[in-house]
Amino acid sequence: MKSTATQLGVPEIERTFSWVDVVVLLGVFGLLWTILHFGRGMVIHFDENQSPAISTDIRTIPYYAGRTVLRMWIAFVFSLLFTFAVGYAAAKNRVARAVILPALDILQSVPVLGFLSITVTGFMALFPGSLLGVECASIFAIFTGQVWNMTFGFYHSLVTIPKDLQEAAINFRLSRWQRFGTLEVPSSMHSLIWNSMMSFGGGWFFVAQSEAITVLNKNIKLPGLGSYMATAVEKGDNTAAIWAIVAMLAVIIASDQLIWRPLLAWADKFKMELTESGDAPQSWLYTFLRRAYLFDWVEEKISRPLSDAFIRLKKRFGSLEVITARPTKAAGRWISRLLLGVIILWLIYQMILGAVAAIDSVYNHVTWQQFFRLCFLGSLTMGRVAVMTILATLIWTPVGVWIAAKPSVARFAQPFAQIAASFPVNMTFPFVVGFFVATHISINWGSILLIAMGTQWYILFNVIAGAMAIPNDLKEAATTYGLHGWSRWRTLILPAIFPFWVTGACTAAGGAWNASIVAELATWGNTTLTADGLGAYIAEVTQKGDTPMIICSIAVMCIFVVITNKLLWRRLYDYAEKRFHLD
Amino acid sequence: MPTVLPSSTAGTALDQSAIAELCHVTKTYAVAGGRELKVLDQIDLAIHEGELLALLGQSGSGKSTLLRCLTGLTVPTSGRVLTYGKLLEGINPYASIVFQTFALYPWLTVEQNVAVGLMSKSLIRADKEAAVEKAIDLIGLNNYHDAYPREISGGMRQRVGIARALVAEPKILCLDEAFSALDVLTAENLRNEVVTLWKEQATTLKSIFMVTHNIEEAVEMATRICVLFPHPGRLGLVMENNLAYPRNPNHPEFQRLVNVIHETITMQALPDHPPEPVSVAGKPVSRARTRMESIPTVPVGRILGLLSILHDNPDLDNIYDIANEIGKDYGETISLVKATEILEFVETPKDEVRFTELGKKFINADSDTRKVIFAEQVKKLRLFHIILGYLEVQEEVDAETVLKDISTALPYENADNVLHTMIAWGRYAGLMDYDANTKMLTRPEAEEEKEEEKKEESAK
Repeated sequence: MKSTATQLGVPEIERTFSWVDVVVLLGVFGLLWTILHFGRGMVIHFDENQSPAISTDIRTIPYYAGRTVLRMWIAFVFSLLFTFAVGYAAAKNRVARAVILPALDILQSVPVLGFLSITVTGFMALFPGSLLGVECASIFAIFTGQVWNMTFGFYHSLVTIPKDLQEAAINFRLSRWQRFGTLEVPSSMHSLIWNSMMSFGGGWFFVAQSEAITVLNKNIKLPGLGSYMATAVEKGDNTAAIWAIVAMLAVIIASDQLIWRPLLAWADKFKMELTESGDAPQSWLYTFLRRAYLFDWVEEKISRPLSDAFIRLKKRFGSLEVITARPTKAAGRWISRLLLGVIILWLIYQMILGAVAAIDSVYNHVTWQQFFRLCFLGSLTMGRVAVMTILATLIWTPVGVWIAAKPSVARFAQPFAQIAASFPVNMTFPFVVGFFVATHISINWGSILLIAMGTQWYILFNVIAGAMAIPNDLKEAATTYGLHGWSRWRTLILPAIFPFWVTGACTAAGGAWNASIVAELATWGNTTLTADGLGAYIAEVTQKGDTPMIICSIAVMCIFVVITNKLLWRRLYDYAEKRFHLD
Repeated sequence: MPTVLPSSTAGTALDQSAIAELCHVTKTYAVAGGRELKVLDQIDLAIHEGELLALLGQSGSGKSTLLRCLTGLTVPTSGRVLTYGKLLEGINPYASIVFQTFALYPWLTVEQNVAVGLMSKSLIRADKEAAVEKAIDLIGLNNYHDAYPREISGGMRQRVGIARALVAEPKILCLDEAFSALDVLTAENLRNEVVTLWKEQATTLKSIFMVTHNIEEAVEMATRICVLFPHPGRLGLVMENNLAYPRNPNHPEFQRLVNVIHETITMQALPDHPPEPVSVAGKPVSRARTRMESIPTVPVGRILGLLSILHDNPDLDNIYDIANEIGKDYGETISLVKATEILEFVETPKDEVRFTELGKKFINADSDTRKVIFAEQVKKLRLFHIILGYLEVQEEVDAETVLKDISTALPYENADNVLHTMIAWGRYAGLMDYDANTKMLTRPEAEEEKEEEKKEESAK
């Protein structure tokens, strides 16, 4: 059976080490050193009455930036582990799914920033006298900001793996681990990296916010770019503040170029379709790394002998294993089930305890009058969120469609919009607030702009993506039938971008609730502007440390978010899915 | 009906020489709305060493489900699956599947994809590579080692699928419509190679079990052919095929076998009925009126297309020739002819297809008259009385209610598919309308009603 088809084989070239490998090796060691260097700063002694001073010396910026980046990555690693564990459990186990999916739905609507004061005190109690407690609280804030989206994405890819690919894995009797590594992670790789990139981008906002917080009337500052910025603004050092912004941008662009672009280029082969895609994502770093021989060498000289040795070892004790395999398997399964059951029961017990304590403290301290005031403030904030969403839609939809129609502009504008969305705009709030003070703009209206600064980009780049996804034949048909101006928008463009707009607007509105906590109470030097709204209220009680009111106000905000999700966004999603889905 | 070969080991009830055996296997699936659909009904089938067994059946007859029961991917609702006389627990260790869609992992190279077949075995790398290399060599994939599936043709992809199956050293190879996604020439070539592989016994492979809807393919390859009747799936014809390889499709015996299978399927799907009672008052009595009969899930456009092809080619009167003419497989053609017959546009004595008077009238009529005739015929079908009955007394009816009635009346059919076909036919006939958003079946809005509504609105 000789094949007569064209030969695809390439003659093997003897590959050796080159200068590329030297660069890669230096990079790897540099990375290890950096992690150790910045990590050491995390475990130093910390006295909550004497927060370590933050220097505004420009030369300290690289160090602070390093600390911030390390925090982001630690949070990301935890998010990834959580994603794998919880997303997998939800996809594979019916009982777990019934618990996890609704829980994730609620958790992703919770305004993370409101919880900072509670988590900070909790983690500080866990690591008394060490900075690690505050670090953990900050990392936890980033974690909760990015993890839900990733978990949902992973779960979704797991349940949409084509059935025949799963059956092949089962037929060839791959173990759970092998299936995970050969099928499940690869098939969700593409969406996992996209979601990670988006979540990571959103994380900068939380890291900047959580580094410098006021809890229980105490100023706590973690060494990092966010706290550097806060200190610079307090001192009125504009040069330092501008340098901090530049550093932040540099760090974001570097993460994009050094991590996410190479990953996307690498992950192109994990796309499901069996046709070759036209334009694969490119990355200069990935192209460079592919030239390195080092990875092949590690595979050939280290990983391969190790796995062979392991298999030989397994074979030697194989006979033993076979005899005992069945009973231990069954027993092991029961033990693990029992253990899982105990853990779940304990968690439920703890949750009930917590809920009872929370309800008790709220019930005894919060009057109905206060509660109705909270609801009133909530509707004010909701109004702001709504105005922001509508205005951003009206402004960015035409712009997005225009950008998408020009491929040269789109290629430039889309990454730009992504970076703009990643940038923690809360760092620039003090300047905008200064502008409000100077021009006597009421913060009640101005906060809408502050909220929009961070969240409008989601609408923009979803509209761009939607407009670029309109199939060419539909566009040509519209041109053939002479659809111009409004009729073209009504029949073609708006229906086609609607599903994308829903995604963007929903994300923007969700982010807006979180942003309101920062935007409605803003400080410029010694002036503090407070808007009437739930966000400002939460910020105030957090600073005071009024626990019952914190719980109550956050609960009210959660209720607002969950209700708008259920009544508005869920319905719009379903409608978009049913009516405007392009297949 | 099912003939199980005499067991080689006398005295035991269990067939020790059967690589895989199904005993009274029944499979029921839960479908939407809490209803159940029986896909396989009391199947008894054994696959012995050395044979190449083909399972023929129309789409939806449950043949893929049968394959999945045999390989352990699906657990039967009742009945047992045995391998070499032992009850099968979990995945069948002797069976490898070759999939219709190839089921290759796009992110793995050809070599890595083939190695997936070896993953469950603890082998050191060198042994693994040697086994993969052997399989690649055997199946003619040399020089494709580092290619990704998306870079190679369909035929080559299926070769990877076969190599992956063989490298796992199976006793039985299960082909699940393995050639149906390939073009004619590629499929023919690959079929020959698979038969050679099995005949030469160069590998551990003893038997092949193939599932297909292509009658010629089955006769060309198999030593034994089983026909699965649909709704619910049960074994119809089982026959031996002792023709010598390589088989020539023009050989009279080959032709005879194909004809026997054709006839079996035709008689099952389009049984000849005793002469109908004399019509009363010039109206023909529909046989569909006397008992609840399902309708084939065929779009209206296909029925019109078939009639117009028959009209344009008066010589075309045999189902087999029609299948060739319209380029559909035999099973699909049967469904189409059956739909046309139910509507009384054609009649089918044996495997002939003849226009009725009504059919001639219909095809020569203009589009409005066609609709009227079509509506008259649809009204005769008892199945449609379910919906029409509701719509007589009320404006609209919930699709879920209708689905429940359909699944009660036709327990072995997929009620969803039946309802969708009914809606399509009913819409064409102008008898009903359906709103996908509210999931409500409604009376069609007659022209006059619309005008009346307008008048009412203007009056307000």
